[in-house]
Amino acid sequence: MNESDSAQSPKETEKDKNSRRAFLQKIGVGSVLLGAGATGFQSVRALIPDILYEASERFKIGHPAQISEGVTFIEDRRLYVFKEGKTFYAISGACTHLGCTVKYTKLNQPKDIEVDGLKKKINFEFHCPCHGSKFYADGTNFAGPAPRPLRWYKLEQSPDDGQLIVDLGEEVEQNFRLTV
Amino acid sequence: MQFAEQAKKIYNKLVWTWNPGSEKESGDAIVKNILLHWFPNKISKGSLSWNYSFYLGTVSFVLFSILTVTGMILMFLYVPSVERAYSSVKDIEFVVAFGWLLRSVHRISAHLMVAVVFLHMVRVFLTGAYKNGTSVGSNRPVNWIVGIVLLLSTLLLSFTGYLLPWDQLAYWAITVGTNIASSAPVVGEKIRFFLLGGNTINQNALIRFYVLHVFFLPVLVLFLFLYHMWRIRKDGGLAIADHESLNQKPEKALPVKSKTYSLLGITNGTSVHVQTTMVNEEENTVSSVPHLIRRLWLVTLATTAATILLAILFTAPLEEAANPSVTPNPAKAPWYFLWLQEIVTDTTLKLGFITINGAFIGGIVLPTLLIALAVWWPYRDPSGTGSAGVWFSSERKKQNYAFIGICVVIIIFTVIGTFLRGPYWNFYWPWESWPTMPVKF
Amino acid sequence: MNHKNMKQKLEFVIKDKTIVSIVSIIFFIVTGYIVFNYMTPEWKMYQNEFQSVVEEKLGVDRAATVRGGLQQVYVKDLGVTDRCITCHMGMEWKGMENTENPYRSHPKEILVKHPISKFGCTPCHGGQGYATEMQSAHGFAPFWEEPLLGKELAEFYVVSNKKAMMQMNCNTCHRYQKETNGMDVINNAKQIINNKGCRACHIVNGRGGTVGPDLTYEGEKSAEQFNYERIKGFASMFTWHVTHFKNPKELVPETVMPSFGFSSSDAQSLALLVMSWKKAKLPIEYIPGNNFRDIPSSEESEKEERMKNGPGAFFVQRRCFVCHSVSSLGVEAAAQIGPDLALAVEDVQSRFGRTLDDFLMKPTGTMDVVLSTMIPLTKEERLEAIGKLRQAYELKKKERQSVVKNK
Repeated sequence: MNESDSAQSPKETEKDKNSRRAFLQKIGVGSVLLGAGATGFQSVRALIPDILYEASERFKIGHPAQISEGVTFIEDRRLYVFKEGKTFYAISGACTHLGCTVKYTKLNQPKDIEVDGLKKKINFEFHCPCHGSKFYADGTNFAGPAPRPLRWYKLEQSPDDGQLIVDLGEEVEQNFRLTV
Repeated sequence: MQFAEQAKKIYNKLVWTWNPGSEKESGDAIVKNILLHWFPNKISKGSLSWNYSFYLGTVSFVLFSILTVTGMILMFLYVPSVERAYSSVKDIEFVVAFGWLLRSVHRISAHLMVAVVFLHMVRVFLTGAYKNGTSVGSNRPVNWIVGIVLLLSTLLLSFTGYLLPWDQLAYWAITVGTNIASSAPVVGEKIRFFLLGGNTINQNALIRFYVLHVFFLPVLVLFLFLYHMWRIRKDGGLAIADHESLNQKPEKALPVKSKTYSLLGITNGTSVHVQTTMVNEEENTVSSVPHLIRRLWLVTLATTAATILLAILFTAPLEEAANPSVTPNPAKAPWYFLWLQEIVTDTTLKLGFITINGAFIGGIVLPTLLIALAVWWPYRDPSGTGSAGVWFSSERKKQNYAFIGICVVIIIFTVIGTFLRGPYWNFYWPWESWPTMPVKF
Repeated sequence: MNHKNMKQKLEFVIKDKTIVSIVSIIFFIVTGYIVFNYMTPEWKMYQNEFQSVVEEKLGVDRAATVRGGLQQVYVKDLGVTDRCITCHMGMEWKGMENTENPYRSHPKEILVKHPISKFGCTPCHGGQGYATEMQSAHGFAPFWEEPLLGKELAEFYVVSNKKAMMQMNCNTCHRYQKETNGMDVINNAKQIINNKGCRACHIVNGRGGTVGPDLTYEGEKSAEQFNYERIKGFASMFTWHVTHFKNPKELVPETVMPSFGFSSSDAQSLALLVMSWKKAKLPIEYIPGNNFRDIPSSEESEKEERMKNGPGAFFVQRRCFVCHSVSSLGVEAAAQIGPDLALAVEDVQSRFGRTLDDFLMKPTGTMDVVLSTMIPLTKEERLEAIGKLRQAYELKKKERQSVVKNK
């Protein structure tokens, strides 16, 4: 037993050595690939920001009593806020086609329209300057390339100070009204 | 199954040049792959050895590549404006994922590159590798001069990058550094004005340094590097190859079977027997692919790993935002200029009523002299061809000692200036603590 | 020979490959360490703990609304970028008042006038808003000059009022107020400045003598401007000021400034006051005491009051008064476009040939537009309007009769 062992051992060590080397090399190749992958990931990840200097999606627009009757355009947020007595709603001014700011356009004469079987009378529309998309007063698209109606955003009243809060992160249906 | 085979075929087609199966393929690889094209087919073992070149040139290039990659990402994150520069660097440090790493790697590579390029020059001098050897058409002195320009460009690259974080360290290092330029007679002030785009370091200076740092100097270095590499081939490879061929015994080249095209057709025969000195290929050379390539990858990998490791151990500092009304104590130029600052501290000369500013001697006279000497030296060097490509050739003893002397002085003064000078430029041993600088609270 | 050569080659190749493997493993470990660090930042631990605290206190539903990841308050007007809320997550939450920091909510009263979205954190509290690790965020880090003005600092300087330090920053905006609620330490210092007649020698807030240095922007000076040779203990600007206030001659032997024998706490509050005198770039709406509104004269406000609460209040509230006066009820039109409504009863009859009741229920012309868009009135409101208008008409008639009688 001992004899055979000692006889075989040099051969085996050579073999061992080789297999150890092969193993080490495999680990080496594996680590270099993983390491390079990690380095690449780090480089690309650095370009995905974790912190933004953009304005918050939720913001206050003032006390209900301070908002004028009819339409108010909040320019820096491109938002049309409507006040009809005690009810409020907000329509986005960003065209749903390619994001240009649509213009509030007063009609010379009230117009009768029908949206989803509902008859309405409107006296203004939204017109997009970029590619001629047109929207009814409720935001429904009726002309041009715009694929969908203008977005409506949720309005709420702050429980702290009674100011109206717009949440650009939350879209609502066209029948949304906030009554104060 | 078939798909796997196909994939393997395509894979082999793509990588065979990197992993040739035979000597013939190895030769073909050099010709067929644009990236390998500028390497010789066969390379002498001496050129390949670690302890001749220490691969310092390769390391410099790897560092340059690391700097390019990290620099390009940092360009997306950094804003070169006086108002935003500091806060964008703060953002890189704190809220950009891995931003601190990119910045730290970029900084450490820049410092390393200055050091490695310098060491590369030392190696070339001590091995006499700027000397022409045996090969025809070689003009190594030109490549030496290109190398000096590359060293200076590296210093400038590092120096221009120094200002960008717009902290106290940056602001005052550049103030001190650029005031050296203004000590040159007659044109000094104008040069500084042009360099900074004004009398003080402000938005103009920042954008100038930025554009130099991210565009002009890197492009300059890239082109000079390409020329530097091309010249190595033109000059017959590393100087050690010349040395090797000199030391070969002339032997008869074996007759080679040849074909001669004549009007009468092809004549078969053997070539003329020539008595020639040639590197014994069998004995002394190996194929560039894969042996040289493997070494280059190894150096690349090791340099990258070492850089990242050092970047973790020595993270990049960011001091208070630049404040032109408060000079930190001490205010130091970047470390690679500190040997000059150290030498010039006591060299403001007074000859009668003429005072020569120390900055003029240390910042203009001394470096100009050194550069001129370096440029001139290859043409002046009296030693023979045999001393090219050998470490510490006995024929070049004296000049090597002189060169080492200069380098040691530079290194010692750099170390003193960097580590042993404290507030008011007073001398402090490493075990002595500096007086604490006052704070608000 | 050939064989030997081959073997030689093989040997250095094997050696190279071994080195490659070892370097690769080092490379992998280093990058792995970096990625691990990235996955486990300090703030993540605080956020996880905050979530469990909320879960415990306010239930699972509220805990689900906790937003993770780096958070920041960015106040463009002040140039403030504060990431404090990454760990101090409960600042504006209700029900977190009695928890431990960093989760405790901010005292509510002060936030009413100083909302976080408009002020950030560091303008009041100090510290390093950029930072996302506690040590450097609290400003106790090299190369950051504004430490957190909190308990630690007060304890370090043995200030008995633990909230004293922060008042220095309050005074950046409240500088020109004689007295400000909640700023007792600074108020005390301001009083001392007046009582001791500092202005005899120094210019303070742009007024005073020139015997001593102008102190208007004393807080703007850098720490390097002072001489600390005679200071025992920690060399800081604050220590300098405190020592100097206690006994000026101790630091500047040749000074003519008398020693006022201030107590420690008085000297500390004076030091905080002078250090607060910085050149702050403040948007105008941040300066307190200035109401950027028209202030009505007493006559105007009396008239406004009379109209709002007088007998014609209905017409003021419904904004009829924009166009119409109702003279007999004391309502005066802003822009006298429409006719006086005191005479509406007969006026409507003569203009439209209809009764007032009929007209208000079914208006025509301008009034139709106004009442359908700008001033929508319910049926009840219209009836009320009719009632009030009749009342006004009766009063007007009486007025006329008395005028006639008097003649």
